Amino acid sequence: MTGAPIVKAQMADVPAVRRPAKRSFVGRLLVALTVLFLTGFVVLPVVNVFSQALSNGIGAYVDTFYVPAPNPEAKLTLPERQKLSAERGSAELTWSSIRLSCVIAAIVVPLNIVFGLAAAWAITKFRFKGRVLLVTLIDLPFSISPVIAGLIFVLLFGRGGIFGAWATNLEWPDPTSLTWQGFAGHWWPLAFARTYDGIIFTPLAMVLATIFVTFPFVARSLIPLMDVQGSEEELAALSLGAGGWRTFRTVTLANIKWGLLYGAILCTARAFGEFGAVSVVSGHIDINDTMPLRIEKLWNDYDMQAAFSVATLLAGLAIVTLIIKSVVEWKTNRTQVAEPLEMEVKSDEHRSAEDQQILRLLAGAQGREP
Amino acid sequence: MRRISKSYGSSQALKDVSLKVNSGELVALLGPSGSGKTTLLRIIAGIEDADPGSGEVLFDDVDVSSTNVGKRRIGFVFQHYALFKQMSVFENIAFGLRSKPWRERPSKAVIRAKVEELLALVQLQNFARRYPNQLSGGQRQRVALARALAVEPQVLLLDEPFGALDATVRRELRRWLRKLHDTIKVTTIFVTHDQEEALEVADRIAVMNAGKIEQFASPEEVYERPANPFVFRFLGNYNLFHARHDGAPHPHDETETAAPVTFVRPHDVEILRENPDGSAIAAKVTHIGFAGAAVNIELVRHDDQQSIDAELTNQAYRDLGLKQDDEVFIRLRNSHSFYEDYAI
Repeated sequence: MTGAPIVKAQMADVPAVRRPAKRSFVGRLLVALTVLFLTGFVVLPVVNVFSQALSNGIGAYVDTFYVPAPNPEAKLTLPERQKLSAERGSAELTWSSIRLSCVIAAIVVPLNIVFGLAAAWAITKFRFKGRVLLVTLIDLPFSISPVIAGLIFVLLFGRGGIFGAWATNLEWPDPTSLTWQGFAGHWWPLAFARTYDGIIFTPLAMVLATIFVTFPFVARSLIPLMDVQGSEEELAALSLGAGGWRTFRTVTLANIKWGLLYGAILCTARAFGEFGAVSVVSGHIDINDTMPLRIEKLWNDYDMQAAFSVATLLAGLAIVTLIIKSVVEWKTNRTQVAEPLEMEVKSDEHRSAEDQQILRLLAGAQGREP
Repeated sequence: MRRISKSYGSSQALKDVSLKVNSGELVALLGPSGSGKTTLLRIIAGIEDADPGSGEVLFDDVDVSSTNVGKRRIGFVFQHYALFKQMSVFENIAFGLRSKPWRERPSKAVIRAKVEELLALVQLQNFARRYPNQLSGGQRQRVALARALAVEPQVLLLDEPFGALDATVRRELRRWLRKLHDTIKVTTIFVTHDQEEALEVADRIAVMNAGKIEQFASPEEVYERPANPFVFRFLGNYNLFHARHDGAPHPHDETETAAPVTFVRPHDVEILRENPDGSAIAAKVTHIGFAGAAVNIELVRHDDQQSIDAELTNQAYRDLGLKQDDEVFIRLRNSHSFYEDYAI
């Protein structure tokens, strides 16, 4: 081999950093396979969801969620009235499923943020017996089938369950039914219009099941982050006289906020998407339907278009989640990775002008050149 | 200010250590890793507690053992600075003042003035708005120092303050720390494993080994009159002779159990062309290593084939005109003999 090709290769090296390198056959094959796979299993189904949802036109799509009340003056035949009434009932149930999904997420996500923070804090900043066991337990919901997770609660609180006797007699008010009843005859103007009996087959059980299934997300996204950061900054804050709460707020929380948000997003996505666990404890009662459960029922009623319409909401949520997730990932990486790199370059390669000026000053004071 | 600290770590990290530091002193805790120096510093700071019932930490004769970190009025500087990443340099330095209970908290104007004064002290006036990741290692270390000084600590504690910096910055910051200490006169204790750093900066050095303080004295004394073999070994290169007590090096005698051991620094090994009074040892030059201002010579003794390191000044080396395989004589100028009672 002569020297010429080598020189050429070296010269080509510089732009090669920007231009993708020349791919080999295997490289092309892998790229093609990946694209094919993603198209077949991700892109096509998502496109299908939207096309099916809109297959009967925008009007039908909107009707899934909202059917206006009939004009009382309009003369409708009995079958027309029955059809309209059925449509209105279905839309009402769909709405109720959206509401319930939102309520469950609104309860579960804040609780899991608090729990995840506490767990990550305990695991990363303290050394204690059973620490490894705790880490394993946090991962448990990831390794258990959601259906089993739901079943656990049935076996705990259901009739004949361990806490069955207590749980089935438990009567608790439905917080969403809080109504104003006025002062006439009451000393307290607010009252609950509905109460629930028992835990299983009520939204409470669904909240519990969702907490179980989603609790690893926040802790899992915080543990590696807090592990890397160690506790030196907290110690520094404490040594400067800051109290525990101030240290947590200004130092710990400031350092983990993006990781925490990342965990909360994943937790939210899962809370909305959970099917198996809530399906078991919902008792398949219509008013206990969340969005995924509602989709299943619509599908079983052969109402494809409505099922896909509700599915578009979940797909949309997934897309929004993905976008926020990438933004947050980019932010966390920037705050974490950029720093050590920059430090190395600065301390090794070129000291800053300020440092050099000081070196010169010091050298001057000692009467010599740096 | 007097301080006695004493502790039994869980795995005996510190064994009954007592240390008294005078007010305004700059003291170095010097020792190899695992000697307990950082543990001692952390106990003084209150980040770690000494074993219950083992002893106490006193500041100005006041027992602070049960006072928590925030109330001890100490300034702690971490090896990796531990600056608050999410805060600017200004906010970092102001943190301690802003964290005071509102009764004692100075007004905003006072805080601003104080921070600017400190920024001037560490020569970072133009960096107040920067964030820690926009600073070089040396600058970060100075911010960490300013942050610790902001709360006007009784004691300033530095944990390997220059450990994470490259050699040049390190050397300059060392001098700078010495000058800073001469200006502000705050009692300072710093931990280091670098003998050169300790010798150059400190008023007194506490040499630590395996949880004990081996010697606590001025740099000169520690270097010139080491208390025991460990201190001698730790403070630089050395030659070792197993010898009879008359000081004249002899081949090691296996039957003698408590043989005195003689240590000699390489620069105290004199190389001669002739043997004037017959007391010098015959040796052969095996290697010459040129190291700038000094020249390292490796020799091997003729009587027992033991190798000896010598360090000559450039001038002395040229005057002798040494070459490899030259036959020479050596004489020891300043030797220290110890009865060695532990294994090497």
